[in-house]
Amino acid sequence: MTEPLLAIRGLETAYGAVQVLFGVELDVHPGEIVAVIGPNGAGKSTVIKTVIGLARSSKGSIRFAGEEISRMAPHRIPALGIGYVPQGRIVFARMTVEDNLEMGAFLIGERARRRRAVDAVFAQFPRLHERRAQLAGSLSGGEQQMLAIGRALMLDPRLVILDEPSLGLSPKYVDLIFEQLVDLKRQGRTLLMVEQNAARALELADRGYALELGRNRYSDSGAALLANPEVRRMYLGGAGRA
Amino acid sequence: MQELLDPVVLGQLLIGGLLAGALYALLACGLNLVFGVMRIINIAHADLMLVGAFAAWVLFATLGLNPVVALALVVPAAFLFGYGLQAVLIERVVGRPLLASLLATYGVSILLVNLGLLIFGSDYKSVPVWQGSFVVGEFVIPKPRAAAGAVAVALALGVYFFLERTRLGKAMRAVSEHPHVATICGIDTRRIRMIAFGLAAAMAAAAGAMLSMIYSFSPLTSADFIQKCFAIIIIGGMGNFLGALYGGLLLGVVEAYVGGVLTTQWAEAVAYLLLVLVLLVRPTGLRGAADVR
Ligand SMILES: Nc1ncnc2c1ncn2[C@@H]1O[C@H](COP(=O)(O)OP(=O)(O)O)[C@@H](O)[C@H]1O
Ligand SMILES: [Mg+2]
Repeated sequence: MTEPLLAIRGLETAYGAVQVLFGVELDVHPGEIVAVIGPNGAGKSTVIKTVIGLARSSKGSIRFAGEEISRMAPHRIPALGIGYVPQGRIVFARMTVEDNLEMGAFLIGERARRRRAVDAVFAQFPRLHERRAQLAGSLSGGEQQMLAIGRALMLDPRLVILDEPSLGLSPKYVDLIFEQLVDLKRQGRTLLMVEQNAARALELADRGYALELGRNRYSDSGAALLANPEVRRMYLGGAGRA
Repeated sequence: MQELLDPVVLGQLLIGGLLAGALYALLACGLNLVFGVMRIINIAHADLMLVGAFAAWVLFATLGLNPVVALALVVPAAFLFGYGLQAVLIERVVGRPLLASLLATYGVSILLVNLGLLIFGSDYKSVPVWQGSFVVGEFVIPKPRAAAGAVAVALALGVYFFLERTRLGKAMRAVSEHPHVATICGIDTRRIRMIAFGLAAAMAAAAGAMLSMIYSFSPLTSADFIQKCFAIIIIGGMGNFLGALYGGLLLGVVEAYVGGVLTTQWAEAVAYLLLVLVLLVRPTGLRGAADVR
């Protein structure tokens, strides 16, 4: 197998005195879609936040493209090639759609190149182009999520990390977001995603990890996890939701 | 009383009020910028204004520089001072409970006031430049007031356009909305906060240099201004840049009218009456507060 693009080993993270992760292991290989599932509070978001530097690990290692990044200043992470879509579709509500995307391209100093990056995302999300001059706060939930995804793509990252991309969206937009994820997969992007919609996430994913109480519980191919009766019972509510 | 309905008198008061209000606006915009970007209320903000006023006074007394010309020195120096102050002190209280930042900036305020008293004493100073007035139709505008008002408006609008249009200015707004998301866009939030505090200090000092031409001031003058400044940002909306701009102009005009109709004592109190009125009608301020997390 290829070198993993992202390799997490023995990761332990605490918020103050409360330890949340107890030795999490996770790999993402180039071109792979990896889904992380698990009940609320399992530590899925914390794994992601530790990777991008918004939470600090007390033990373990996080290597990205061979480089140890667990002690790196968080604002240096995007330049390595990691894009992040935060849980709760957080956009800069008081800025226009276009300015939100421009912020995703903040690290591109040259105006013309920034412009091209914005246009590339507009080409992929025509809906955002239609609304480019609108304040992001006035978009619907699904459009805001699209914007958050677009913003994470601005620097053409090698790994895109998505935290609950479909959470809280209307069914129509859930479909739309999953279509976008399929699109990203088709483009050959490498994705690491956390999803409460475990069935759909595992259908899409090459591999999946189930976390529980800050520890790895199951890890297998997406299809194998979907077929595993225990996983179905524990995380998919008996039968997979369509 | 009759003469107050005279359009010339009303117009004269309006012009005077807008020009004075422009200085309030410039000052309050800086205070609101810091609050917006880092949720810190800088009690020393008006003391930074007086640093600018005394700098202009010294430059006038020693080199004979007109305060408008002195801006070329005062503004960059104040920016660097604010940038450094953020780096060594204010950064330590970012993200901490509001009380921590209130105490830290109160400490800076006490330090600056007492340094001022030590160096300059408590006598009132002023910078007498540009005697005479512009006469426009029936209106008379003292030259220093016209210059101070124009400079203040130009600077406040300049910073507004910086925030709206430039990459760095937009990054500043991004940090004020969601610092964590700004970070994962590659924005160094610490550096943005240092620039924001530097800008705010530069705006305050510029307001002070302009103030030096039209008011008498001592190191203790800051108390009055910081209170009005608080009233203005609450009236305009906490963290809302344009709100502070409008709030400052509004206060200037209302003070001018109240001073014209009643007495200057009433004019001094009107900021707080206005504050109560706005809070009763619109608790988030005229333009809405930036949501505080
Ligand atoms: N900022 C925080 N401060 C303190 N505790 C937190 C914080 N964020 C998450 N937690 C706690 O850490 C645990 C894991 O949370 P999280 O990683 O968000 O789980 P998940 O994303 O799997 O739902 C939970 O018990 C949660 O309450
Ligand atoms: Mg979560």
